Amino acid sequence: MSGLSRRDVVKLGSAAAAFGIGFPTVLRAQPKEVVMLGLWSFTGAFSDVGPVLDRGMKLALEERGMKVQSKTIKYITRDDETKAGSATRRAEEAVDSDGAKFIIGPWSSGVALAVSEVAKRKKVFHYFSGGTEDISGARCHRYSFQWAASPYTAAKTVVDTFMQANPKAKRWHLLVADYAFGWSVEKYIKEVGKGHGIEFVGADRHPLGEREFSNYVTKAAGNKPDVVAMINFGLDAVTGAREIFNFGLTPKVPLILTWSSGVEELVQLNPEIRENLWVGSNFYYTADTPIAREFVKSYQAKFGNPPGYAPAAAYGMTRMTLAAMDKAKSTEVADVVKALEGLELDDLVGRMRVDAKTHQTLRPYFFMRCKKKDAMKGPMDFADIIATGSTPLPAEYAACKDIGSL
Amino acid sequence: MLYALMGIGLSIITGVLNIPNFAHGALFALGAYFLVTLIQLLGNFWLALLLAPLGVGVIGIVIEYGGIRPLYRAGHDYQLLLTFGLSLIVTEGIIIVWSPVGMSQLPPPILRGGVDLGITIYPRYRLFVMAAAALLVLGAWLFLERTRYGAIMRAGIEDKEMVSLLGIDIHRLFTAAFALGCVLAGIAGALTAPIRGLNPWMGVDMLGIAFVVVALAGLGNLLGSIVAGLLVGVAQSLVALVWPEASVAVIFGVMTVVLLVRPQGLFGIR
Repeated sequence: MSGLSRRDVVKLGSAAAAFGIGFPTVLRAQPKEVVMLGLWSFTGAFSDVGPVLDRGMKLALEERGMKVQSKTIKYITRDDETKAGSATRRAEEAVDSDGAKFIIGPWSSGVALAVSEVAKRKKVFHYFSGGTEDISGARCHRYSFQWAASPYTAAKTVVDTFMQANPKAKRWHLLVADYAFGWSVEKYIKEVGKGHGIEFVGADRHPLGEREFSNYVTKAAGNKPDVVAMINFGLDAVTGAREIFNFGLTPKVPLILTWSSGVEELVQLNPEIRENLWVGSNFYYTADTPIAREFVKSYQAKFGNPPGYAPAAAYGMTRMTLAAMDKAKSTEVADVVKALEGLELDDLVGRMRVDAKTHQTLRPYFFMRCKKKDAMKGPMDFADIIATGSTPLPAEYAACKDIGSL
Repeated sequence: MLYALMGIGLSIITGVLNIPNFAHGALFALGAYFLVTLIQLLGNFWLALLLAPLGVGVIGIVIEYGGIRPLYRAGHDYQLLLTFGLSLIVTEGIIIVWSPVGMSQLPPPILRGGVDLGITIYPRYRLFVMAAAALLVLGAWLFLERTRYGAIMRAGIEDKEMVSLLGIDIHRLFTAAFALGCVLAGIAGALTAPIRGLNPWMGVDMLGIAFVVVALAGLGNLLGSIVAGLLVGVAQSLVALVWPEASVAVIFGVMTVVLLVRPQGLFGIR
């Protein structure tokens, strides 16, 4: 302190006061503004998905002219780095510094479960789309919602449809991503499989971001399965499908991508690798609904390619959030939460209803079969939707017993 | 074997030029992308496999001549920054030219599918890569050990000033060494493409492994790079069988243990 004069101390004090009192009036969200945070992975394991999620959310907001309930929407993004620590830190920072009250994302289930805790603590709205059942299950609370189909709905659609087409394919080998999403879907694939008399001859788990699948495929080949089903996502699914082809398993043995991003994964595989590939997804761009048709049209016009599950989820979650604000005629978090609970409407993938008791969005799940090379009408004509299923999670499996209060 | 190829290439560059080449991973990716484009242009896998690494070698010559040469006297910090910056430029260049979306490349028809080895099924293409990489490693070793130019390169690693005093054009030696290192990275990238597919960041993992191989071997030790490459590959495969989550960590675990016991590397001289 020896170098500081009394005048310096007064100056510093004034500056500090300006920082503490004056700045927030400038930086904090104005009351006429609704701050929505897109929490996406721009780096880390899902870095390839972040930019397309951002596109989907922007598109939904731009359709509304960046306005809701006469208020301007301020859209901000943060990079969650596909890490729970970074995601929670940045979400909290966006809530505290930028006044974000509505969080959409992130993409990874494990990361989303951590962000969901932030939403609960900070009392901000949170919409997520992914494979973990815990957001609308064991760790449910009033502030977090799930847009993707329940893993049970997905498993039921995939297994029932596949077994209808291939009743003799009873020996299944599973390859599962070893985190929240993989465990949830695996549980229900096995559960639904029992009803069809399926024997699970192997179920290997691999870490997120695995790039060397040869050991897993060697083991799968040794089990002589009738079908290999992968419960993984993104680059893991692409790398696994490629390796299974290289080993000569596909196309002789059918391969199921149980929970796929659709276009984003299929475009990375050659038609030869896609032969005898069956794909389950929360969205496929040929979904025959008026909103999906419009969305696909404007997305393709803007970005060239049709949208996959990721941009569709970001688009769909943003639309549902805005619809809840309209229903509530308010942009206060508590009002929007109450309005979204039980909201039922025809939206992106068809009839959609948000279960007020669990915050699970009840909606159709898609199952596709990839086309052979000579049947494709264009380079992006990957598959036909062969079934949609919307069987909700039976009550006996529901882990969300009490969603609590606001 | 692919790790050994990457390791030898990086070892030559590190040894002769005394430069940590952080662009080695990006050049590996470039080899894969050149392969795919050449297959599309020429319709011939084998010709593309021959030309793609040479293309990477040409890029290497341009990098050495235009970027690294002016910095030989500038110190390690500048060279490190340059090669790191180059890795970013090459990666972004791949995104601009080919797109950020990954892609697959099929093996040639004759190498598709698996071979039943009795105890297990193994992909034909992987068997080919093992054989090809082994031959290439052997060829690189013979070139460095049995040819006059290889002897000059090894002498360059030992004592550049002495080589220069003997009337050998040291700048040409540097260019050749950098280009050879790049060609080996390009071959590894091209051979890997049908196994792991392509994406602009595919070189990042490989760069880390290549540096582990070089550190394990002892800086600039070529025979050591071969042994260390094999050691890393075998360790990774064995661990992946029993504990897949640790298959990447084991690479760095092996390096830590070896460097604690022999700080100069397996074959390095203290």
